[in-house]
Amino acid sequence: MIRFRLEGLPVMDAVAVGAVHLTKRYGRLAAVDDLTLEVPAGEVFGFLGPNGAGKSTTIRMLLGLARPTAGRIRVFGIDAADVVAAHAALAYVPADVALWPRLTGGEHLELLAATGPGIDRAYRDELVERFELDPSKPARAYSTGNRQKVALIAAFATRARLLVLDEPTSGLDPLMEREFRHAVAAARERGQTVFLSSHQLAEVEAVCDRVGILRAGRLVEVAAVAQLRALHRNEVTVTYTGAPPRLSGVPGIETVETGGDHHLRFTLTGPPAAALRALAGADVTALAIREPSLEEIFLDYYGEQAGR
Amino acid sequence: MTGLVVRQIRGGAAVVAVICAGMTAIVAASYAGVMADPAAAASLHRIAGNAAIRTLFGEPIALDQAGGFTVWRVGTVIAFLLGIWAILATTRITRGAEEARRWDLLLGGRVSLRGATARHLTGVAAAATATGGAVAVALAATADRPTGAVVHGAGIAAIGLFCTATAALTAQLFASRSAASGSAVAVLAVGLLIRMAADGITALAWLRWASPLGLLELSSPYRDNRPLPVLLLLVISGALGAVAVRLAGRRDAGDGLIRGTPGRTGTRGPLGSVEAFALRRMLPALTAWTAGVIAYFLVIGLAGVAVTEFMAQNGSIADLAGQAGFGGLDRLEGLTAAVFGLLSLPVAGFAAVRLGGFVATENDRRLTLLAAQPVSRVRLLAAETAVTAAGMAFLVTVAALATWTGIAAAGGEMSMAALLRGTWNALPVALLGLGAAVLAAGRVPRAVIALGSLPTVGGFLLYTVADSVGAPAWVRGTSPYAHLAPVPLVPVDLGAELVMAALSAALAGAGLWAYRTRDLSG
Repeated sequence: MIRFRLEGLPVMDAVAVGAVHLTKRYGRLAAVDDLTLEVPAGEVFGFLGPNGAGKSTTIRMLLGLARPTAGRIRVFGIDAADVVAAHAALAYVPADVALWPRLTGGEHLELLAATGPGIDRAYRDELVERFELDPSKPARAYSTGNRQKVALIAAFATRARLLVLDEPTSGLDPLMEREFRHAVAAARERGQTVFLSSHQLAEVEAVCDRVGILRAGRLVEVAAVAQLRALHRNEVTVTYTGAPPRLSGVPGIETVETGGDHHLRFTLTGPPAAALRALAGADVTALAIREPSLEEIFLDYYGEQAGR
Repeated sequence: MTGLVVRQIRGGAAVVAVICAGMTAIVAASYAGVMADPAAAASLHRIAGNAAIRTLFGEPIALDQAGGFTVWRVGTVIAFLLGIWAILATTRITRGAEEARRWDLLLGGRVSLRGATARHLTGVAAAATATGGAVAVALAATADRPTGAVVHGAGIAAIGLFCTATAALTAQLFASRSAASGSAVAVLAVGLLIRMAADGITALAWLRWASPLGLLELSSPYRDNRPLPVLLLLVISGALGAVAVRLAGRRDAGDGLIRGTPGRTGTRGPLGSVEAFALRRMLPALTAWTAGVIAYFLVIGLAGVAVTEFMAQNGSIADLAGQAGFGGLDRLEGLTAAVFGLLSLPVAGFAAVRLGGFVATENDRRLTLLAAQPVSRVRLLAAETAVTAAGMAFLVTVAALATWTGIAAAGGEMSMAALLRGTWNALPVALLGLGAAVLAAGRVPRAVIALGSLPTVGGFLLYTVADSVGAPAWVRGTSPYAHLAPVPLVPVDLGAELVMAALSAALAGAGLWAYRTRDLSG
């Protein structure tokens, strides 16, 4: 395993998040079941899954807020239970940000700066501007989105090597969501690792290098977004003259829909070679392949789960 | 919604009802045993006539009967217990739920803010009434003459209802649960102070009409059985409740009628570390508790001078009091020692409430952001514990200063060093409460306030009851109050104090250890 030295920090792993057979049981329910996952340093990783899939439980174990029943999870090689060392390398934005009602937003930023892993004050001030946060208001006057902004600014302003973001944009408007994507891009440029749990699939698609899909506590897929697409059903539309192509029995082709006007639509999973050979026998005048969106891929998993 | 109300309060309500009825039954059943010894009975009568004892326990009304004896011995204690529970339960399920935005869901339905307030209020009121009923039944079953039992039970219920209504009202005035609870408790505490003054100073006896606990005393169960004071208290409670419900209809959900200044609110203070932040969060609460301690101990100091002078002039009574364990009441040292013993109750209460508040920040996820910082769990809880311990030390110091001021103002004389010895002597007992609260925070976070109050409230009740029923010495010995020397009347029992301090530290250490490894909620 590659090890290197970063300024002032002890020798650390090049793996930002490493989970090995991670399991968390609540009684008979396995919230997270034998999860093994590696997120290399510098990656923007999307962590997807339907509600109750175990995303937040995994993040709570990553933060040392909950202890694994079995297995272990490490942050840059440090056991997540050693919060003093592990948290020196990370910053966190919870899904539901709760603040002290008597403290202003600015005071929260001060508190988190004073107790956190060290921050870039100039960048923080810039983020306050960009996210249009009024830091002088007491937290009880903040909306959900504004509370989320406080946590986001505090996290992005740190120079922590890992940012753990749990549904960080659920309360943000589209303008602020754009600022969020800018901030993630800036973090990536600085070499920070981002562990992003989200339901905003367009956002994940836009910012993540790889995604992991969690279902019922188990990791069912880890792949680059482009790779996921290739693995999943592409929608192919064919226009032809003369006799329709013979597609029955061709591997990878499913749900063939014949349109009236020499149109044909089918879904294709896996390598397209066989399908192309089948199409070659017909007089194809136009061919369009549409890759599935992450949402469609995700819904595929939902569908499978519902049909189980 | 009734189901929701019941589920939120049934546990606490049951515990309070069982304690109140149980203590009543135990003390009433012990009456025959106490009175069997003529000497004990005679000294009891004399002590009961003492102004200082009256100030502390209320006026004894019918000591010649089991019922009257019970009312005097535990009536005020259970009234106070029920009152505090009613206040905390009311603010928790109304203002607390509103503050945490849990009512948004409720109010999105067909329920108005007014309706929700009325329904929740009714729930606590029903529980308070049931406790009064349980006390009446316990008293009627163990003591003769049911009229007194009914009057006393009704009076206890009325105190519960008064506190429920007061808390409902303060919950409309203030936007935060802590402010609502604090001001309602302050009303009850002022009521106690007024009654103490009325009991201790004959010329001020009429003041009883101005205090809910005074009205309870005026109902005079087993002697006069007056219904009027209880009815008056019920009418006042009903009016306060009606005003509270009406005000609920006039305000926005989540808002209080008294608003803080917009923009900046709360206190300023350091934020540079976890410890500094813990200190900053404690300061507003400490200020309120300090005000309460100052008021109470000023009164003790002021009244103490007159009481001890009276006792000194009536040597025979003082001697008899001494024989029964209330020694030295003819001197300020003795009187202050008796009162300082009780100081550990509010001081430990402060600790339990602080640790309870800390666990609440975990439950409502405010702590999450801090727990995700490079700060160990042990440090988070240790900071809270250390700051709370400092607050407790501050409170006992203030108690000595206030007593000294009161004594000096009344023309008496007592050295500050002796008073400080007396109040600091109570600190280790209170620290036991802190240790238990920290242990609870680590092991059973739901029970922080209950376990944190156990060494003091439980210990005090055990001590009182064990004394009344003549329980074996070892039972009495499990109470920390059995090991608390009456300082400044006698020197500090350094051994006992050290044992209690060491035990507190061990409890807190075990709590910190458990907190280190448990899953955080929220």
